[in-house]
Amino acid sequence: MVVWKDLLVERRSKETLNAVFFFGLLLLFLFQFALGPDRERLAGTLPGLLWLGFILSGLLGLGRTFVAERENDCWEGLLLTPGDKSAIYVGKLAGNLLLMLVVETILLVLFGFFFNLELAAVLPALAVVIALGTVAFAAVGTLFAAMTAHVRARELLFPVLLLPVEAPVLLATVKATEAVLLGEPLGSVAHWLKLLAAADVVYVAVGVLTFDFVLEG
Amino acid sequence: MTADNWSFVFAAYGLALVVIVTYWRFLVRRERELSEGDTLRRHGSGMPEPQTEHRSP
Amino acid sequence: MAFGLAPREATQGNVQRIMYLHVPSVWVAYLAFAVVLVASIAYLARRSEGADRLAHASAEVGVLFTGLTIATGSIWGKPTWGTWWTWDARLTTVSILFVMYLGYLLLRGMIDDRERGARFAAVLGIVAAFNIPLVHFSVYWWRTLHQPPSLMKPGPSTMPGVIVAALLVNFAAFTLLYVYFVTRRARVLRLEAEAEA
Repeated sequence: MVVWKDLLVERRSKETLNAVFFFGLLLLFLFQFALGPDRERLAGTLPGLLWLGFILSGLLGLGRTFVAERENDCWEGLLLTPGDKSAIYVGKLAGNLLLMLVVETILLVLFGFFFNLELAAVLPALAVVIALGTVAFAAVGTLFAAMTAHVRARELLFPVLLLPVEAPVLLATVKATEAVLLGEPLGSVAHWLKLLAAADVVYVAVGVLTFDFVLEG
Repeated sequence: MTADNWSFVFAAYGLALVVIVTYWRFLVRRERELSEGDTLRRHGSGMPEPQTEHRSP
Repeated sequence: MAFGLAPREATQGNVQRIMYLHVPSVWVAYLAFAVVLVASIAYLARRSEGADRLAHASAEVGVLFTGLTIATGSIWGKPTWGTWWTWDARLTTVSILFVMYLGYLLLRGMIDDRERGARFAAVLGIVAAFNIPLVHFSVYWWRTLHQPPSLMKPGPSTMPGVIVAALLVNFAAFTLLYVYFVTRRARVLRLEAEAEA
């Protein structure tokens, strides 16, 4: 069941993937233009910019999680699914995670290219931070996407709801990324990583437990 | 301490007072409107819309 | 209705008195959001309309007091730090809280179906509440780790008995105010529901 959902998501995600990736690329250009060519100044803000890019692209992709079901009148199909509806959540979450991670990887490479970063050495550490942060983001995002699917101003409400909730995650990931890019070991930001891990657990647990309630009716 | 700061104290307390009183009046007014509408509907003879007078509080 | 705004003598400058507004406000806000969590869980478990109304009312009053906390904090900050705003731990945390629960109210406002609105709001209420400790720690670490200790903390360095007493009086007064507001607001919500029926 979950696998089927996943495959379905994969087929659709091609268009989403392209759009989100292109959006991320545009953001990169915008950052350059808005912040000027001063390399020194840019360097300090890089972790923040990177995650801003991830999050803004993610908003775009996550918001569309349930669009297909809604537009094609498949919503009832979702509701009538026998058994634990949380499986749908997990399936969608997995799909979203994959989407976001792919986009983030490409964006990271581009970032490294444009801003001339030495990423090879810190890649494993960076990967850990990005993975932890993305799970937190996708977990709540998938849940909220389901909730806002039927709301009037869906495109407005989704980011409005998601961003405040993700504020601590953003703080943690940026601080951790900052340290990693400076070459510090992961241990130095252990507290941030623990926070992210805790957030991951909490968000996924809440998502799994409450998704049934979201899909009713 | 400098006398300047009293204005801030008053501003803060004043603001708090205004906010609290405004919310309180909002609650009182809503409750009055709704109970009037309720009463009118119960005692009225099949009127589709209750006519509530808007008395200023 | 016990207003109980009784500013007592503050030994650290009169601006300190704003603390008697600011601190009880944030206490009530946290109380309100705790109630939202409990009521939200209760609603999902038992589908009681009363629980839903309690959650809604408490969230609204909570946002009110959170806003008040920010405003009083800002007004306190201007003469104390010389600036209306600063990203100190407490103000930042409260701001995030404010926006989260404002979003809660927005969500409720934008869903026409009463039952669905109640359900979704309950879920959001739970997510937001569980997020509070995450927010607290992340912001606290953000502001205090590797920060130069030049940040002035606007709290009394000693807590003489009189100040504590005054604070407690205001705690009690604000809590009573909270209870009063929530009860009334819930009643209004019930009347609204009956009017629509």
